[in-house]
Amino acid sequence: MITVLSLSFLAPVVLLLAAVVASLRPGRRPGLTPRLSEGTALFALALTVGGLLQVVVGTADDLAFLSGPALLSLRADLVSSTMAVLIGFIGWIVMRYSRTYLDGEAREGAFHALMLTTLASVLVFAQAGSFTTLVLATLAVGLTLKRLLLFYPDRAEAQRAATKFALVWHAGDALLIVAMALVFAKFGVLDLRELAISASDQGLGVMGTAAVALIVIAAALKTASFPLHGWLTEVMEAPTPVSALLHAGIINSGGVLLIANANLVQQSPGAMAVLVVIGGLTALFGAAVMLTQSAVKTSLAWSTVSQMGFMILQCGLGLWTLALLHIVAHSLYKAHAFLSSGGAVEEVAKVRRPGPVATASVRKVLNSFALAIALYAGIAALFTLGFGSKTPQALALGTILIFGVAYMVAQGLADLAPRKLTRRLVASSAVAAIAYFSFQVAAQAIWGPLLPAAPTPGPLEWALIVIAVISFGMVAFAQALFPLWAHHPSTAGLRVHLANGLYLNALLDRAIGGFAATKSTTQ
Amino acid sequence: MFLDHSQIAPARVSEVLGAAEAAARAVPPAFPLDATVAVNPFLGQTGEDLAAASARLARVSGTRITQSGEAYGQAIRDGRIEECDLAAALDANTSPLKHTSIAALKLAASALGENPPTPALPTVADLAARASGIDWPSVINKTFGMWAAGHFDRGQALWSPTPGAEAFAAWRAWASHDLTPEVAGLNGFCAHVAAAPDTTERAILFASDRLGLSGEAAETAFHRLYMSLGGWAQHARWILWQAELAGETDATIADLLAIRLIWEEALLEKFPEITEEWTDTLAGHAAPVEPTQDQVTLAILQDAADRAHQRRLTAALDGSDTLERRPELQAAFCIDVRSEVFRRALESVDSGIETIGFAGFFGLPIAHRPHGSDLVQNRLPVLLNAGLETTSEGDPQADQDNRIRARTARAFGRFKQAAVSSFAFVESMGPFYAVSLVKDALGIGKGKAWSAESADPMPEVIGGLSSKMKVDTAQTVLGAMSMRANFGKVVLLLGHGGNVTNNPHESAYHCGACGGHAGDVSARVLAGMLNDPETRVGLSERGTHVPEDTVFIAGLHDTTTDAITLYEQDVDTGEHDMHMIHNWLEEAKWIARAERAPRLPGAKWQSLDARAANWAETRPEWGLAGCGAFIAAPRAATAGKDLGGRAFLHSYDWQGDEGFGVLELILTAPVVVASWISLQYFGSSVAPDVFGGGNKLIHNVVGGVGVIEGNSGRLRAGLPWQGVHDGEQLMHEPLRLSVMIEAPREAILEVLENHPNVCELFDNGWLHLFTLKDGRVDARYRPGLNFEDEITEAALAA
Repeated sequence: MITVLSLSFLAPVVLLLAAVVASLRPGRRPGLTPRLSEGTALFALALTVGGLLQVVVGTADDLAFLSGPALLSLRADLVSSTMAVLIGFIGWIVMRYSRTYLDGEAREGAFHALMLTTLASVLVFAQAGSFTTLVLATLAVGLTLKRLLLFYPDRAEAQRAATKFALVWHAGDALLIVAMALVFAKFGVLDLRELAISASDQGLGVMGTAAVALIVIAAALKTASFPLHGWLTEVMEAPTPVSALLHAGIINSGGVLLIANANLVQQSPGAMAVLVVIGGLTALFGAAVMLTQSAVKTSLAWSTVSQMGFMILQCGLGLWTLALLHIVAHSLYKAHAFLSSGGAVEEVAKVRRPGPVATASVRKVLNSFALAIALYAGIAALFTLGFGSKTPQALALGTILIFGVAYMVAQGLADLAPRKLTRRLVASSAVAAIAYFSFQVAAQAIWGPLLPAAPTPGPLEWALIVIAVISFGMVAFAQALFPLWAHHPSTAGLRVHLANGLYLNALLDRAIGGFAATKSTTQ
Repeated sequence: MFLDHSQIAPARVSEVLGAAEAAARAVPPAFPLDATVAVNPFLGQTGEDLAAASARLARVSGTRITQSGEAYGQAIRDGRIEECDLAAALDANTSPLKHTSIAALKLAASALGENPPTPALPTVADLAARASGIDWPSVINKTFGMWAAGHFDRGQALWSPTPGAEAFAAWRAWASHDLTPEVAGLNGFCAHVAAAPDTTERAILFASDRLGLSGEAAETAFHRLYMSLGGWAQHARWILWQAELAGETDATIADLLAIRLIWEEALLEKFPEITEEWTDTLAGHAAPVEPTQDQVTLAILQDAADRAHQRRLTAALDGSDTLERRPELQAAFCIDVRSEVFRRALESVDSGIETIGFAGFFGLPIAHRPHGSDLVQNRLPVLLNAGLETTSEGDPQADQDNRIRARTARAFGRFKQAAVSSFAFVESMGPFYAVSLVKDALGIGKGKAWSAESADPMPEVIGGLSSKMKVDTAQTVLGAMSMRANFGKVVLLLGHGGNVTNNPHESAYHCGACGGHAGDVSARVLAGMLNDPETRVGLSERGTHVPEDTVFIAGLHDTTTDAITLYEQDVDTGEHDMHMIHNWLEEAKWIARAERAPRLPGAKWQSLDARAANWAETRPEWGLAGCGAFIAAPRAATAGKDLGGRAFLHSYDWQGDEGFGVLELILTAPVVVASWISLQYFGSSVAPDVFGGGNKLIHNVVGGVGVIEGNSGRLRAGLPWQGVHDGEQLMHEPLRLSVMIEAPREAILEVLENHPNVCELFDNGWLHLFTLKDGRVDARYRPGLNFEDEITEAALAA
């Protein structure tokens, strides 16, 4: 069969061309630029879809320039093509939104140019075939995003947010550059596929292990993991489409980085354990803080912190396909949540309209957990019969997720809930559980062959699995009983500390001068 | 706000608490965004004129409340403001600082240039920031904002603070745990808060004492602190407003002052080196509030701008037309300026059509419970208390089903938000959002904002009304609308509502007279009442004869797309040719759109529906931007005259108004509401940083009540910048409203004499007042209960 370069590789090129055109008229109401940028984003989406189809029928080729440490390459496989389509899709949505939303801004044309450039960089990152490409692309993302965060350069909050972002992001880049050097010194190649093979053949060695450690830390920085999550919770200083692109496209970089190096990372049980710990901690921490946030975009930002933590946890458990599924699902959800955040006033009113929420008692919550676990057992058994058995990691993750479903069941079982509501909620829970397992099976079928399978758990892995299940279970249980304790005086202090994100961001601010007065604040 | 302290407390205590109360009342209320209405941002300054209010607000907020000298200078150069306007404005001004000649005034105007506002007097936090290099105002905004967002949250966060706590107690509990100020460098702040007095009044007194605040300095110093809290202070002022309307009181706004004072006191203690500067600042606060030369110049120029508009308006009002046969169709609209365009369009379609203007709540003080909802909506002007409870519950089974659906959706929403379950949510439901993204991006599947089919069941008065009450209400409302005879065959009662998507300020586009809700319910209730045979018989007995074949049909004017929805399901339309009426309304829609669309950036008359459904649209319509006049007169005075969608038109025929009760009503209710609207647009245009809602592109909705910009913490009340500006120019010409009433001068003066609150709006120039005679401007009001003949070109020509 004749193979050609993936069409998807053209997507960044056309976006950059459009960015150049847009940059010629950086000011207000720049003629056809807004239409051009949406049109180009749509075209880029079509190219990525074309690339995916090529991969599916097996006619897509990789692209490579130069060699050795300077190797610049893009790869075309199901993982990179899926990510490219996802980013292309989000890109089209945000550019279409921007076309209207930015109308009349003093730097409207410049905005389009910057967004298109950022989008192109993210697309290159997601399809990077070599370590060098990864590093260059992530540097470009950081530089353009910083300029977008400073879209309103006079805002002191924007300056602080941009500074903090650049610091954390580029610290990650610096770590990646060192990691790249170590990898090259050890294996002599920077092509990601070859690296995977070399690592499996030769083992990591000291240098390889150090490189993996740096990659893990870089991924943690770029996904806004605990304790350096602060940059992400402040970047709603830029127009909404930037937040949407950031939370649905750019924030995935850490995950993409780990998945692209999955074979390398999985060689190090220590790195995997660290991922489980950081990811699990961030997931629970972010979710708890989110509960206390009253500003819609801030709450969404904490939700991203927590969801990215969960994704890192999945990586650490070796559930790479599920991590990828999580990235896709989260991106689509979060892009929509940001872009529609103007509806928050109406959403809050809607919550209040049908009267008070029925509260579940301890007994009912226990019932709901039992019911959910029974539901899980049933569905898991069915899926196991149909699609083969599952690893302990996958079962553990399923259990964690079913704890979440139990929360919905608990709301339905509350004493004051009308029968009809109970029926509807139990049915919704079942639908959610089935949807979850179906997506999981689909993800495994599509990406499974490209990614390493979860390792057979040893004592360390077992310990982490058990700890994760227990801690998520406890939080879920506490959450379901929430109305019974949330307003107890003894928890008032806890709420204050959580609402402030345990002051980690304030401490970081203090360390890097984030509280300092700026020009615009002290005249 | 406080207990009565004048009798029991020593003079100093009384003085400080009195100043605190005065400062709190200087703050305008901000209504939560779920049902927001325009509020006069200068509500606390109506006792003084524009120049004095300029001086006060410059001191406490560093803002200018007029346009820049450059903007006026440009208007003079362009000829929008003419020599005669300047002369008249100069002549009317009474300040000792006014210019001696027009030439001197022009010179002063050009010397002003862009004149950036002078900075406000500093707070201790400002001084501490300069001394320490730490941005204390920002730290306060953030930490206070974080607390306030939670405290005033109506359901955004799942974990809200304990409900029902008083603000000051709640904040003390919060701030004695919150370590952020200590991390920022204010060591011991938690302990400081814990040791502060535990009642609001004692905390204010104690901190004021430490800060040396007393006597003359206190009021503007307190006002300065309120301004630093932005919209949160205005939100608290709204709580007080609501309480006072119900005959109660509320101390939340005093609590906020106590909180802010505790911060000031702690910062002064921490940075003693700023004591000297602070003492100087106190002297600044103690000085009387007096306008500077520049402020007087700007006030005169603003008056000249107002007069230039009045000159054009009086030229347009060139005498009444008459229409004497029975109309085929009468349509009553809200006085809202947006209906002026549509009324003109509709009347141009057929000579058998007559329109009427009346406040959009149609005089019914309704508290309404929608279908499937527990929340009661006050659909009446915010100056009034509700007196009529209505519900659209309809069929109880359908109501219950609706609630179950809403509760399922809510449970799903909690599933999405809660810890741990949010992960399950993303993995099971996330991929489906691809469909939502496509739908919303293309604006499809949203359904029509207003349609008769999807409307709630017909609203009913809870408990029903007695026959006498029906007749009383109908008679009052018809009288107020000056509808006493000559009823059309079909009378449309049209409320109005905006049609926007994904817009936190949606309710600002709805009907202000309906408390920030759409006007459909009020119109439907009134139509039902007027179609009721019992009402008709009673009206007839009292001398108001509504012909048997007249039918009242309620409807809704969608102000974004100019489409009209008629609730025909509520009534038997009988023999009437509804097809023709729909055709007329359709034709009028296109005429009105053709007039409005060119003002909207990038819009075409065909694209207004798509814009309304576009989730990224920040300028779906211009709302009431441009409003400049309020005219209460028979429609004959304004019919056929292009007032550019800038005039509130209230139908009023003084000859039928025995005892001038309706005149009194007009001057005390719709005129005041219109002044709030016009001054809100004024404030949001000239002082967007202080009285505007900020930039929509970075809005972050807080607690379901308001917006902040980005992560700044400071609530922003008022209209967003995109609501008054198209990117290149202001779309609202900042003018003070010109009120024109066709009524005898003496009758108007008598009303003003009896209502000093209204009178001061005219005396201090927040509104202008004119009388009309036979559709022409007849006299201009002069401060001090006087009228002066106004000789207009139109009068000379006639």
